[in-house]
Amino acid sequence: MVSATSFSSGLALTGSAIRPADKTIVVTFGGGARDEETFAEEGQANIPNLLHTLLPQGTFFTQVRNAGILGHYVATASIVTGVYERFNNFIAQPPPNPTLFEYFRRELRRPETDAWVIAPSNGFQKIGSSSARGFGPQFGAGVILPKRLLSAASRNTNLFDNDQLQHFLQDNYEMPSYDISATAQDNEMHLDTLESTLRLSVQDFVKHAKTLDSADELSIFIAKRLMDRQAPSLMMLTLHDMDVAHSGAFSLYIDAIQRADRLCAELWKAVQSHPEYKDRTTVYIMPDFGRDADDDPAGNGFQHHRTGSAMARTTWLLALGPHVRQNTVVDRAIESIDLVPTIGCHLGFSTNSPGRCIEELR
Amino acid sequence: MTPDQLQPSSFDSYPPLARSFAVEHLGLLRQLPLTVCPSFLAQISDLDTRFPIERKTLAWQCDSLAALPQEKRDALLAPLRAIAMTPELEKLDWVNSPAVFVERLSAHLWSTGQINSFHEGSRELFAAIPDQPNEATRLALIVVGQGADTSRASILSKLARKGVRLNGVNPAIAQQQLLEAFARHAAKEKEAYAHWYVDGGQPWILPESVRASAIQVSYPQLSPLRKRVLQRMQGILNTNQANAEKMRSDLAVIAPNELRSEQVVSDPILQRFYTELFTSGSGTQIFSTSFVQWAGRELARRAQPHTVLLRYTPRQRHRGFNEMVSDPESKVLDPEGSLVDAEMNAYYNWIEMGRIAAPGKLTVLAWIEGSSKAVMVSPKTRPNTVSNQAVTIEQAMASFAVA
Repeated sequence: MVSATSFSSGLALTGSAIRPADKTIVVTFGGGARDEETFAEEGQANIPNLLHTLLPQGTFFTQVRNAGILGHYVATASIVTGVYERFNNFIAQPPPNPTLFEYFRRELRRPETDAWVIAPSNGFQKIGSSSARGFGPQFGAGVILPKRLLSAASRNTNLFDNDQLQHFLQDNYEMPSYDISATAQDNEMHLDTLESTLRLSVQDFVKHAKTLDSADELSIFIAKRLMDRQAPSLMMLTLHDMDVAHSGAFSLYIDAIQRADRLCAELWKAVQSHPEYKDRTTVYIMPDFGRDADDDPAGNGFQHHRTGSAMARTTWLLALGPHVRQNTVVDRAIESIDLVPTIGCHLGFSTNSPGRCIEELR
Repeated sequence: MTPDQLQPSSFDSYPPLARSFAVEHLGLLRQLPLTVCPSFLAQISDLDTRFPIERKTLAWQCDSLAALPQEKRDALLAPLRAIAMTPELEKLDWVNSPAVFVERLSAHLWSTGQINSFHEGSRELFAAIPDQPNEATRLALIVVGQGADTSRASILSKLARKGVRLNGVNPAIAQQQLLEAFARHAAKEKEAYAHWYVDGGQPWILPESVRASAIQVSYPQLSPLRKRVLQRMQGILNTNQANAEKMRSDLAVIAPNELRSEQVVSDPILQRFYTELFTSGSGTQIFSTSFVQWAGRELARRAQPHTVLLRYTPRQRHRGFNEMVSDPESKVLDPEGSLVDAEMNAYYNWIEMGRIAAPGKLTVLAWIEGSSKAVMVSPKTRPNTVSNQAVTIEQAMASFAVA
């Protein structure tokens, strides 16, 4: 069903190009982060940048509910389609509903280089486009999986000792690897197009990776490279280091949250210092969901997101950009599937999401 | 087959205790909807190798549900009966493979958006079961911080908010007095499986008086089981079709004898318990801190101990997941990270013991190993308080522990 708000705004701009100034970057934390370790009082020490640097420049939504399946791939797919998807979380498959990228490119007639997804984890190969009729890879986003690129580089070259980069090449405890459904097409960027897309040689890619500590850092490096070389209007990246929580090591989970906090600030700084992005970019930062509550006997606290309880389903959204009110906190509950119609109604394309355009971000 | 068609012969393949329990409670089982009955059977089918208290608790639950007025029971079961199932699920052999059914049901509930209704229905059902008589005093002793910098004032902050922070503990005799406190408390109750000492590293030596009655287990002691589970995990990874769901499913069906658990311990109940610490826990296979926390949690949930001593020692430094699976013998430790892990885990251990303790009957004492710092939570401590007075563990126990 087409929502009235997004449909009307979509019609208004149909036939015209996107306002060239508008850029959109969506950052999700695919790991699930609880309020307790982020914006709740006891978690605030972990996110000094989000709290003290970014929040004052943006609008913060304290209650974002995810009513869908709490698995990272299917939840991220739900965020990008604006529909609670119900497919098997552990099979890499295109979402059945159209993605944000397809709506954006098809309706605003944007070229294929204008929308990208960067995801560190295997399994996200198919997230750039859907299997929905009338949509598909021809309208989808390019997908970059930096860890897979690095893995391919390790197989194809003798440039480095694999042991030095082992920490990048693994997926997390919960998802060591995925089944990949066979499809004729995908939009994943492979090693042979690294140089032409990012103007980055395999050698330089590997060399730079050696200087980094984690997969999330590698994702931010790729994101900044994309901004420099392709300047896409729509980019999404997911940070996944924090899903190490599944191993039960609280310190590693916290380290990853602190890293994500630093990387979000680094990305915002890059946006604000980049001539193509400065003062024309909206950044949305949102965990895909929370994690189980400490006192829920069905779970084991921060370790998993298996109970479906309120804490596991509730997270937050921070939006920053030229049209976003600064230093504003909104306690009204919204849903994670509201993001797609919100971006649609702001940029001027229609969506079939049952979610609603968030008025404060229109 | 539906639960109302169950017959005594349906349980012919169950072990003796399980079969007898199922037949005894057949009347109730026949009334349960398919969304619930297999969960009960999953517990019943394992009863021969469950702790005695688990058998007692399950009997209590079944008897309590059976004793409810028919109308009330029907009303409680109605929401669970209303859950939409699929023909594929209904065709599964849920009597003989109840755990497999429960896992598939869970996936179905999530994918059809019925998980919240199911949880709500289950909560209502179990809320109708009265608490068992429970007068036991329980003591949980927790040790954290070996090898780490423990000078931080905020150490154990989550737990400290619940009780008193003791900053003047005499470290020279703390270990000895903790062990004595353990022995004294354990001496009060002779029931089997009531007293446990779980250590993440090389264990301390328990006092002679308690060695026969307490069960002592350590991460190194269970290393043969752990390594065999890691080999299984490696095998799953090598298929290149591994994912979290498959990993969990494949590990969950590993039987104790497949890991040759009899080489580690002769008691079949402990064989199952130790095996499941590695096949149902996440991270227990690679991090000793996760192992100790999960052991504490599972002990509280299953064995309902009267006395526990849980000692966290440094886990290995984090590496790539596959590397930790294929090479479990890392000697590079992360004491600082392990302390942060253990602080959270100690808080969870307090929550977990609180679930089984009667009101006013739980004492928790967490000592930061080698230091003068401890935290104590009991009915006699005031939340979020600090004592800088010089004190021994024995004096602290005398002042604050539940007698």
